[in-house]
Amino acid sequence: MTSIAPVRVEAPVLTEETTPPNQQSRGRRGLVITLVLAVAAIFWISPLALLVITAVRPLADFVGNGPLSWPDEFTWSNFGDAWGIGNFATTYKNSALLALIKVPLGVLISAMLGFALAKLRMKFRRTVMFTVFLGLTIPIYIAIVPVFIMLRSAGATDSLFGLIGPYLAFGIPFEVLVLQSFFRQIPDEIIEAAKVDGAGDWRVFFTMILPLSLPALVTVAILDAVATWNEFLFALILLNSDANKTIPVGLLNFQGQFANNNTGLAAGILIAVVPILIAYTLLQRWIVGGLTAGSLKG
Amino acid sequence: MATVALSEPGKVKGGRWSPWLFALPAVVVYVGFLVYPAISSLFFSLTNWDGLSATYDFVGLDNYAKLPSDPVVVTAVRNNLIWTVVTIAVPTVVGLVLAIALNGKVHGKPVLRLIFYTPAVLPLVSIASIWGWLYNPQYGAINSFLELIGLGGLAQPWLGQDSTALWAVMVPAIWLRTGFPMLLYLAALQGIPNELYEAATVDGASRWQQFWHVTMPSLRPAHYIVLALSLIDSFKVFDMIYAMTYGGPGTSTQVMGTWMYFNVFQYYEAGYGTAIAVVITLVAVAVGIPYVRSQTKEAS
Repeated sequence: MTSIAPVRVEAPVLTEETTPPNQQSRGRRGLVITLVLAVAAIFWISPLALLVITAVRPLADFVGNGPLSWPDEFTWSNFGDAWGIGNFATTYKNSALLALIKVPLGVLISAMLGFALAKLRMKFRRTVMFTVFLGLTIPIYIAIVPVFIMLRSAGATDSLFGLIGPYLAFGIPFEVLVLQSFFRQIPDEIIEAAKVDGAGDWRVFFTMILPLSLPALVTVAILDAVATWNEFLFALILLNSDANKTIPVGLLNFQGQFANNNTGLAAGILIAVVPILIAYTLLQRWIVGGLTAGSLKG
Repeated sequence: MATVALSEPGKVKGGRWSPWLFALPAVVVYVGFLVYPAISSLFFSLTNWDGLSATYDFVGLDNYAKLPSDPVVVTAVRNNLIWTVVTIAVPTVVGLVLAIALNGKVHGKPVLRLIFYTPAVLPLVSIASIWGWLYNPQYGAINSFLELIGLGGLAQPWLGQDSTALWAVMVPAIWLRTGFPMLLYLAALQGIPNELYEAATVDGASRWQQFWHVTMPSLRPAHYIVLALSLIDSFKVFDMIYAMTYGGPGTSTQVMGTWMYFNVFQYYEAGYGTAIAVVITLVAVAVGIPYVRSQTKEAS
């Protein structure tokens, strides 16, 4: 569960247009900055652009004309080759299955804990909170050997389901941090009103807290899905057979096999990242909003 | 239970056990797969276990005593330090510059923001694959580009030689990690009231003075979050190194994380490998505690 940032979700997505400092007429200046940024952006995105261009040209064309040339001809066959040899049908299925089980389950149990921490009278609340948040700093390394032993004695190594426990555990700190801070902003009055009407904690949780927190739940779910899709170390250690590998581990093997087939390798890498790119483009607003909104009060 | 008063602010009336029922599933999973394994690692680090056999001896602190005399550990610590400094400093500064630029009157803001943030969502392993492919000594785009602009003399096997490998692996890490500070700073910049700049202008402050006396202090919370999270993240480096160089050539790109992995899973030194993991964790936790405390305090 790397590269995810714990944040608080509060406000709606950041506003697109704001007035810049010192709003004297600076059209010209803006144009220069735009140009500089555009050039920087072209460089920034060039690795991905090259990847796409390479993936759609024949290998002979790539070798003949060099990596930076515009293709003489185009082909889709690299994708077919990469799909088959890279075993992507299997690794895709595995990664998707894992995310489909892990993410909703993780969000639910984290939301439950977050609710207890934010809205219920709980003994040792700060201790629990501190211990759980401490998990943000704890690297996966520390758990690897014991988790490996636990799962081996349970016969759950080389099984997708064996990954769910550790994935859940390492996702919890981030999810709880975000969700409890969101729940905290829900006014107590409406909860108390429901209580007066006879609703129990569970009813309050399922019929009030969860629906009211939909934006936070979605943000957390998306970030968690990306993290689950990208996770490498546990998958590397716990999954052996090709039938059980996830996308990152599969991609690594594929890379070794295709070392000399540059166009096929490009197609394979692209196959592995396309779902993330599509999801990210579609869900951008949620991700950007979730990463930034309200995280700055610290 | 009946004593739980409605007047208690911020708390809901409910049974004494109710909070624990809500907390139970997450706590069980967290303790079972994180806390308990972390504690048993402390135990394994005091043994000479090979990771396979049923028996092992208790060796006290021998594994820890061995660390400073292990030349690879010395290299790994050095690499971890370089990695931490560079992959925090560069993305933070570049992210801040991009955010300031994007906060001005710029056309195509959403597209630019999308482009600069995109690498941040890609799987690390795919980023490693992309850059391994770009660095390829024979058909890599990077050497080709150097030739194209007349610097062909600089072309070299970036990942294949001690002198450049670590730096070459840091480039994709920077590429990946610039997006987050950029987004965070962008959001923070939009929260700075315009009046501050107006007042500064009235006082005759130059743009540079405004940056140092208005922008930077207003960004303090953002700096704090960016630095805390980057620091926590940097200690965990593994994927990129493993996937791009496998710690090589030789041991030139080993970091503590990869060296732990190799000891446990290649050299069957689970006890020693776990001691390495314990050291990384202690450092990471020590560094992260102020951040964790601030989060806990604020939530109370």
